[in-house]
Amino acid sequence: MEQEFTLTSEVQNGCLVIATSGYVNNKGGEAIAQEFSKHFDTGIRRVIINLAQSKVVNSIGMSFLIEIIERLEETGGKLVFTNLDPGVEKMLSIMGLFNFAGKEKTVPDALKSFQT
Amino acid sequence: MHDTIALKIELPKIPDIELVAIEGLERLSRHLGITDEKVGEARVLVTEAIINALEHAGEENPIVRVEFTMSKQELTIFVRDYGKGFQPSAIQSPDIGKKFGSKDKRGWGLHLMKSMSDDFRIESKETGTKITLIKKLT
Repeated sequence: MEQEFTLTSEVQNGCLVIATSGYVNNKGGEAIAQEFSKHFDTGIRRVIINLAQSKVVNSIGMSFLIEIIERLEETGGKLVFTNLDPGVEKMLSIMGLFNFAGKEKTVPDALKSFQT
Repeated sequence: MHDTIALKIELPKIPDIELVAIEGLERLSRHLGITDEKVGEARVLVTEAIINALEHAGEENPIVRVEFTMSKQELTIFVRDYGKGFQPSAIQSPDIGKKFGSKDKRGWGLHLMKSMSDDFRIESKETGTKITLIKKLT
């Protein structure tokens, strides 16, 4: 069964990489938004969210990510999702998130996309 | 191997209980050899249907009934709560553009269920809400 939500984060080449594990529900979404805020306040504007270990997400959890995209949009930043389960990818597409955020297969691909 | 298998669960209203149904869905899918892509989409439908039901289940009879009927070709998801119901037609389709600048960033559940299923039916009245979703698996 999907595990309790946890996340790790690191800054690589000025880019915040958040990797989640477990169910991204309202608490998971809120935890991602809080982690983002900490780094946003220090000037980070490029963000990668790696959902490789989160095959189960819900729309309440994802609604917190809209707030992240909004703040990045307002400040010329960008969010890129990586390692998406096909169902999650379709969900985010239907929500329209890819009109404002990117998607790449892996974290290295996402890091590369920020350099171009 | 059976052509069609079914699973019925009664979920109490406790945090993350939808994961129990997801576990059941995944086991049925593995048994029938359903592709990861289709299982992924079914996971979203099941999760959204159950969290919607739990939100509307109320306190008087706070349970949600879930039934899966699955073959290699098709999955039927039936989710029922015993809350006070709501008017599905009164719920507007969400728009990401309008969510920017708005405090309310939620309200995606019904839209996702309609968009990701092959058939979506909802019946809501003062004795509760029934949602039936059909997802083609081939």
